[in-house]
Amino acid sequence: MLSRDADSCYWIGRYIERSEATARMVDVHYHAALETFLPSSLEDRYEDPESPLKWRSLLEISGNAEDFSSRYTRENDRDVLNYFCFDMQNSNSIASTWKFARENARSMREQIASEMWESVNITYLQLRDWNVDRLFLESPHEFFSMVKNASHLFQGILNRTMVMGETRDWLDLGRFSERADQTARLIDVKYHDLFPDRSDEADEADDIHTSGDPLDLHEWIAVLKSVSAFEMYRKTHNHGINPISIVDFLILNHSFPASVRHCTGRVNNCLHRISGSVVGTTFNEPERLVGRLLADLTYISPGEIISSGLHEFLEDVQSQWISIGSAIATTFLSY
Amino acid sequence: MTLFDGYNASSFYDEMFDGSGEPRPHYRRLFEKLSQMSTSDYNSRCHLADLTLVNQGITFTVYGDEQGLEKPWPFDLMPRIVPAAEWDHIERGLRQRIMALNLFLHDIYHDQKILNDKIVPRDLIIGAAHYRREFVGANPPGGIYVHICGSDLIRDSDGTHYVLEDNLRCPSGVSYVLENRSILTRVLPNLFQQLPVQPVEYYTTQLLHNLRSLAPASRIEEPNVVLLTPGVYNSAFFEHSYLAQQLGVELVEGRDLFVEDNIVYMKTTRGPKRVDVIYRRVDDDFMDPLVFRSDSSLGVPGIINSYRAGNVALANSIGTGVADDKAVYAYLPQIIKYYLGEEMILQNVFTYLGSEPAQLDHILKNLDKLVVKATNESGGYGMLIGPQSTAETRAEFADKIKSNPRNYIAQPLISLSTAPAFVDDHFEPRHIDLRPFILTGKDGITIIPGGLTRVALRRGSYVVNSSQGGGSKDTWVLAAEPEPNDQKTSSAAVSTHSQLQNPSTQTQAVGAGSPGWSELAQ
Repeated sequence: MLSRDADSCYWIGRYIERSEATARMVDVHYHAALETFLPSSLEDRYEDPESPLKWRSLLEISGNAEDFSSRYTRENDRDVLNYFCFDMQNSNSIASTWKFARENARSMREQIASEMWESVNITYLQLRDWNVDRLFLESPHEFFSMVKNASHLFQGILNRTMVMGETRDWLDLGRFSERADQTARLIDVKYHDLFPDRSDEADEADDIHTSGDPLDLHEWIAVLKSVSAFEMYRKTHNHGINPISIVDFLILNHSFPASVRHCTGRVNNCLHRISGSVVGTTFNEPERLVGRLLADLTYISPGEIISSGLHEFLEDVQSQWISIGSAIATTFLSY
Repeated sequence: MTLFDGYNASSFYDEMFDGSGEPRPHYRRLFEKLSQMSTSDYNSRCHLADLTLVNQGITFTVYGDEQGLEKPWPFDLMPRIVPAAEWDHIERGLRQRIMALNLFLHDIYHDQKILNDKIVPRDLIIGAAHYRREFVGANPPGGIYVHICGSDLIRDSDGTHYVLEDNLRCPSGVSYVLENRSILTRVLPNLFQQLPVQPVEYYTTQLLHNLRSLAPASRIEEPNVVLLTPGVYNSAFFEHSYLAQQLGVELVEGRDLFVEDNIVYMKTTRGPKRVDVIYRRVDDDFMDPLVFRSDSSLGVPGIINSYRAGNVALANSIGTGVADDKAVYAYLPQIIKYYLGEEMILQNVFTYLGSEPAQLDHILKNLDKLVVKATNESGGYGMLIGPQSTAETRAEFADKIKSNPRNYIAQPLISLSTAPAFVDDHFEPRHIDLRPFILTGKDGITIIPGGLTRVALRRGSYVVNSSQGGGSKDTWVLAAEPEPNDQKTSSAAVSTHSQLQNPSTQTQAVGAGSPGWSELAQ
């Protein structure tokens, strides 16, 4: 496969996954926040009366807080939703990610099934008919569902039409790399939100086994929902919602599609299919790096993560993903 | 009211209607079918076709238009029909031209007999912008220079076909021939019934066969054929991508290729892979910064040397542009005579050469009657249409011509023939041309029946280029005169198919369709 085409596939996978992740997170956050107007919490949680919803952490998850404040003055619903959904200057907005996905797909449309290209093209064209006014006029949820469905449609066509081969592996590689990254960011920021200033305290381990107050609970449920993990979590951890089980589920679970461990395993499989080497051996640098990360995620316990600092752990995971990305580029794409 | 009410072809040759307003025999059946359709029904088919084009991203790029960089390809559903006998004449003429042009190119890059014999002036060739001195003495595989040619034909008011130019560099448009056909069969299938329309889709099979046969002898078993594109921002990118897909070859950009020890490789995820044949859609000037324009980033350094060494084949070859120079075109009757000993079958438009003093004088005196063209431009750029120009632009052109007479030719304005095009809610006559595509391979010449009919969608306009408001039509070459009652096979196919469906679903499907749909499905 042409290196440039592999690169395009990788980015199509990433961009479409990113749009879906953004749609999920903003959707859940917007709707969860509608229910958080508890009078007692209003004062200390939402200092700024102009910002009825607390968007700051979401902007931080996507790494866009600085960019947002440089161009918008208030963090209100309208501006933030516009920023996440339609702002073409925000390279992570839903409209931008589909535009980039389409540009990549267009440059290699002869390599993918026509139906896949058409689904990307149609979504791109549909998005051009939307703006923030229409979003509020119709229904934000409907818009986010459309975006999620577009991603699922693309994935469905891919599964149904593409041969099991390199093109597919590169698309998956991009998708699961992005998803691992998104989940790690989500937990990092939300954990920090919910346990501010507590990371160094000795009794932290006790705190995180308790369920916290109703508002905390509400927010943790939102975290789970924003990676559509709530129902699966319930089935897996039947003793209730608590932070340590959530960390266990979202980072270390072997089979949940959005857990960091699961996504890392999928990337590992893609790399081995691409090189033709046996899983468990290492043939090239990306395989070595992903294999090592996978071993860590497989054998570490949630307690160890918490006691050594969740934030530090997640930061380390994210920096490992950056090394993996550059190893992939130098091995396959721009030698 | 029918779709053809008020159609008035006036003084031009109309492809569909004769002087008395009657449909010509080869159009009669189509006329009957369309006369039964209502305007709204026809309109809904147009929308269906437009939607297909937009969803599939069948677009072309307009340069210098920031907002809508990509435009959907304007497709007029009304087919253009060429009867069998007419096509036979065109096809013979095109074969003759391409044979002569390939011999001519081989000659001027080798012995230059035609220049020594003073049939074509030496200055005209050596001084041509697209003459590649660097390429003299090189031997392209099979001696073929032009593998893919697109010639532009027009028809004058007396019905005679003329060749306006032969595009020998990177002619584009064939993807639209194939797509137009595929869309039309989907949105207006009933028009095809009872008409022996010749198929066109074997074009890509033949092209692939020809390209593979160009590979170096040591690589002929499993040659790696690629299509080289300037990239997604090129106006014809859709075509490049479409052809690569249909041919099943990699679509590469210059940055995907590199040359080592005179061998061309492409960068793949499993390391370098040798490239044997390149169907290139990049102009000579940009192919190799070491040989031609050094500022080009579209090409591949070293590729020309590799080509000269016979390690890779290029289609088309380097230096073919000299033969589609508009001044060289004027000598084609002599060129055909010189190499083939034949008279020219398809006529040229009479051409005045700026390089000949007497003719230059005539051009300058008759600017208001002539069409003046720069000899090395294409796509409708650098052109003056005298009868539609102002005194001011004529004065400007006169200065340009005087400062570089070799660079200009002039031709009388040909009253391009018209054909019905759907405008708003009815048919109006619009000017058209025809670009057939001619493939030359080691085993001979292949021309798919028809080609791209381009139509100037602006009323009264003569410019059919897609960059200047032109659209296109499906072109039907009929195999023979249509025979009545030839519907048996198709109705049998329908009944077999219906047995495979759940009867209740089928009823529902018919009921759910618009009245127009069920009416046409019969």
